[in-house]
Amino acid sequence: MTASRMVLRSALCWLGLSPLLLLVIFPFAVMISTALKPIDEVLAWPPRWLPDHIAWHNFADMWLAADFGSALLNSLGISILATLLAIAIAVPAAYAMARLELPAKDLYRQFLLVTQMLSPVLLVLGLFRMAASVPLGDGTLVDTRFGVILIYGAFNIAFAVWMLASYFATIPRDLEEAAWLDGCTRTGAVLRIFLPLAVPAISVTAIVTFVAAWNEFTVALTLLRDPSKLTVTLRVVNLVAGRYSVQWNQVMLATLLATLPVAVMFATLQRYLVRGLTLGAVK
Amino acid sequence: MRAVRRAAPLLLILPSLLLALAVIGYPLYEMIRLSLADVSRFGQIRGYVGLANFARVFADPVFLSALLRTLEWTIAVVGGTVLVATPTALILHQNFWGRSLARTLVMLPWAISLSMAAIVWLWAFDGDHGMVNASLRSLGLMSGNVQWMARAETAFPVEIGVGILVSVPFSVTILLGGLSSIPGDIYEAASIDGASRLQAFRFLTLPLLRSFINIAIVLNVIYVFNSFPIIWVMTQGGPDNSTHILVTYLYELAFRLGRPGPAAAVSLVMLAIVFSFTMIYVRLQAREQSA
Amino acid sequence: MTRSSAWVAAAAAVATMFGVAARAETVHVTAAYYSDKTGPYFDKIAQEFHAANPGIDIKVDVVNWDSLLQKLQTDISGGTNPDISIIGTRWLLDFVKDDQAEPLDGYMDQAFKDRFIGTFLAPAQIGGKTYGLPIAASARALYFNKDLFAQAGISAPPATWDEVQQDAAKLKAKGIAGFGLQGKAIETDVYWYYALWTYGGDVVGKDGHAAFAGDAGVKALTMYKSMIDKGLTEDGPTNYTREDLQNLFKQGRVAMVITAPFLINQIAAEAPKLNYGIAPVPKETTSATYAVTDSVVLFKNSKVKKAAWKFLDFLFTKQPRIDFTKGEGFLPTTKAEAEDTYFTTNERLQTFVKLLPSAHFAPTVTGWEDTAKAVSDAVQSVYVGKAEPAPALKQAAGIADQALGK
Repeated sequence: MTASRMVLRSALCWLGLSPLLLLVIFPFAVMISTALKPIDEVLAWPPRWLPDHIAWHNFADMWLAADFGSALLNSLGISILATLLAIAIAVPAAYAMARLELPAKDLYRQFLLVTQMLSPVLLVLGLFRMAASVPLGDGTLVDTRFGVILIYGAFNIAFAVWMLASYFATIPRDLEEAAWLDGCTRTGAVLRIFLPLAVPAISVTAIVTFVAAWNEFTVALTLLRDPSKLTVTLRVVNLVAGRYSVQWNQVMLATLLATLPVAVMFATLQRYLVRGLTLGAVK
Repeated sequence: MRAVRRAAPLLLILPSLLLALAVIGYPLYEMIRLSLADVSRFGQIRGYVGLANFARVFADPVFLSALLRTLEWTIAVVGGTVLVATPTALILHQNFWGRSLARTLVMLPWAISLSMAAIVWLWAFDGDHGMVNASLRSLGLMSGNVQWMARAETAFPVEIGVGILVSVPFSVTILLGGLSSIPGDIYEAASIDGASRLQAFRFLTLPLLRSFINIAIVLNVIYVFNSFPIIWVMTQGGPDNSTHILVTYLYELAFRLGRPGPAAAVSLVMLAIVFSFTMIYVRLQAREQSA
Repeated sequence: MTRSSAWVAAAAAVATMFGVAARAETVHVTAAYYSDKTGPYFDKIAQEFHAANPGIDIKVDVVNWDSLLQKLQTDISGGTNPDISIIGTRWLLDFVKDDQAEPLDGYMDQAFKDRFIGTFLAPAQIGGKTYGLPIAASARALYFNKDLFAQAGISAPPATWDEVQQDAAKLKAKGIAGFGLQGKAIETDVYWYYALWTYGGDVVGKDGHAAFAGDAGVKALTMYKSMIDKGLTEDGPTNYTREDLQNLFKQGRVAMVITAPFLINQIAAEAPKLNYGIAPVPKETTSATYAVTDSVVLFKNSKVKKAAWKFLDFLFTKQPRIDFTKGEGFLPTTKAEAEDTYFTTNERLQTFVKLLPSAHFAPTVTGWEDTAKAVSDAVQSVYVGKAEPAPALKQAAGIADQALGK
């Protein structure tokens, strides 16, 4: 293709995307603009994009008000562990779906689909009662990060199994079968041949699970009590909900910072994300 | 040994079944129980009342209008999402300069949690300090102030728009995946046969993309139908119940008005609706494809 | 093992045994988030209390108002509720009906009861028993912007609704939004009750029926609606929560707003230059205001009631009360704090205190939340022009009557 055609095509593509991109970028522009303003400018009339003074202290104020550091650690810990849990449980199940003769496979698949249909908002009361009835240490699952991890893990299993199973089905069997001939046990073949091939799909599933856990609100709100255990999403919403006065600059800054890790992850991994979801979506 | 062989697949899916059953099955059982009971705000069951909770809910005009609005909401958001996501995916599938940047940008709304996205948009649409009004004014598109959230006529379309925007990334990703699975050589074959680009799109791309669009539709319907934060954060179903969808109505019933029984009944009705939609849609698609 | 270390071990074992017996009790407290001062206040009180009572640990969770009731609701249904919680007094009946709240009369002697200002203790008394102690109290009054008034040539705050409308018309001529009218989210109904009450009406009548759809109600709502139509309020009231209105007022973009005393503290912090005054709620035939208390309740299933009561006893002594009320900008609920010079010399707060004799509290009746919602829905439908005052109120009264069990 000639360079000039490439220029033309690129221009057309960007032009075509521009209305959507405008809408995508708009809220981020709002966040950045508001996050940098001191409160009197936030509420000034008429509103303007650029602050007169950049209020760097918003950062420190917000960090303190939302206890952002510990919230960040909680969110990271909970999201990573929930992801590991979901993956650890979904990989064997997906392998069974893709490779083994599973009785009532369709029933199992439908069951998974049904679990996707229940939003936590519907189940909050029941979830809480369940958590309160499971003893753990001195108390129950209530107000434990472990309880939240367990629930996030469970809610993401369906998607994970579903995606992994379709991907696993595309990995050629011959490689494993060749390994059996070489005297490898079935388990050995899975560990040495199959799993390494499945790494891309597993990472994509992990990202999707991680993002879901990172962004979840309802379950965390219901289960967590102790301020030292709250997640980032919870903290940010708490800065707004039911307050007598809202510091919008802090809220926007907190949202921006909470979004950053996930955005960076998307930027680095978008290539795999597209590929992975494709394969997952085939079935 | 053979018995082990046969049990192995079951053993492998067992943990997933158990966890899902415990975490989703138990609350579901609770919900069914509550839906049949006279329950106090604090979960004390005072007795079982059969289907009275359902009857009460169906007699509530707010429920009925929320039900209709939920359909409107779901159709508008899912429809809008597919209409935006399909061309976007087609463009992002092209080879052009800055494509990975464009893909990352399109993906960005996915990185914000729904509740936070709703908060940001609520702030952006604020009548006095919001940048939406400010931008429209500076572009000369209007002179005064629009109080977007003051009426359903403006608030609900805004909410639908936000709903579409946050659903686009996931759908684009699925569709892009679908496009990349279409082998390139069929286009070459088509162009040799003298098909125009438009014909190639109409007769090759679209049919191949169809199953992916279907997946995007099913998953989006499930997510959008149950989507709570956008409407709750922006209008709480108001003014005068004019932006309620079932899930916000349910939340208000359970936690504002303290009636877990009828709320549980609403959740079961919702589950039944999504379940039947999914089953019917999946069946229809399967039939169409085999035909 | 050497002999001495064996002794140490034995002593440690004994100490542990006794330690178990004398193990510190923990009292779990759920507090509502009033401002960024709430958390630090309770941390400080908990420490002070623990220093005086080393055997009792106080653990405080501060929860947002928006999620407080939901949290208590799930907590109680799961049996994991705190020992003590702050609640809106208007929710109390639900707790009492379900036998969740401990009657406190057995813990209080007359001297303790006498600590409180009677008006504020009364709302938490149901069926002759006291179930809650008033931790926060507020009333409502009219904030007016003196500079904007001066611009429009108005010398004194309006005393009646007619004057409100005249003043708002003068302000409008100068391009200023006159009367701030709330039409969104919690307390949308209350903002209309101000007018309803001052027109001589009531929300729930003495017979327990909804009374707001009467003559006074229709007049009050018609008056609000006509102000919207004439442009005497801010644009699009159904887009404005109470917080939004307060923000407008802080920026000098609306000249009048009716709200609680805590706006004083917010203005001092966020808009210290604002030149404003506070006047009684405008009246038509009667003067009225809305008074609200939040109560601390002790849960029946608490296993550490004695320790919890000890903490409450401490919480309602003079200095902790002064710190709380000053910090959050409420009205004193105990006599001792009310005598502090901060309150006696604070002219703005005194405006609120003087309104108390004419104050209406949310009645403790079943179905109050439903009634509030029905009224909010009705006034919203009128504000946006979807319905006429009389039929809208009548319909809401029907819903309310059902909820009130009439």
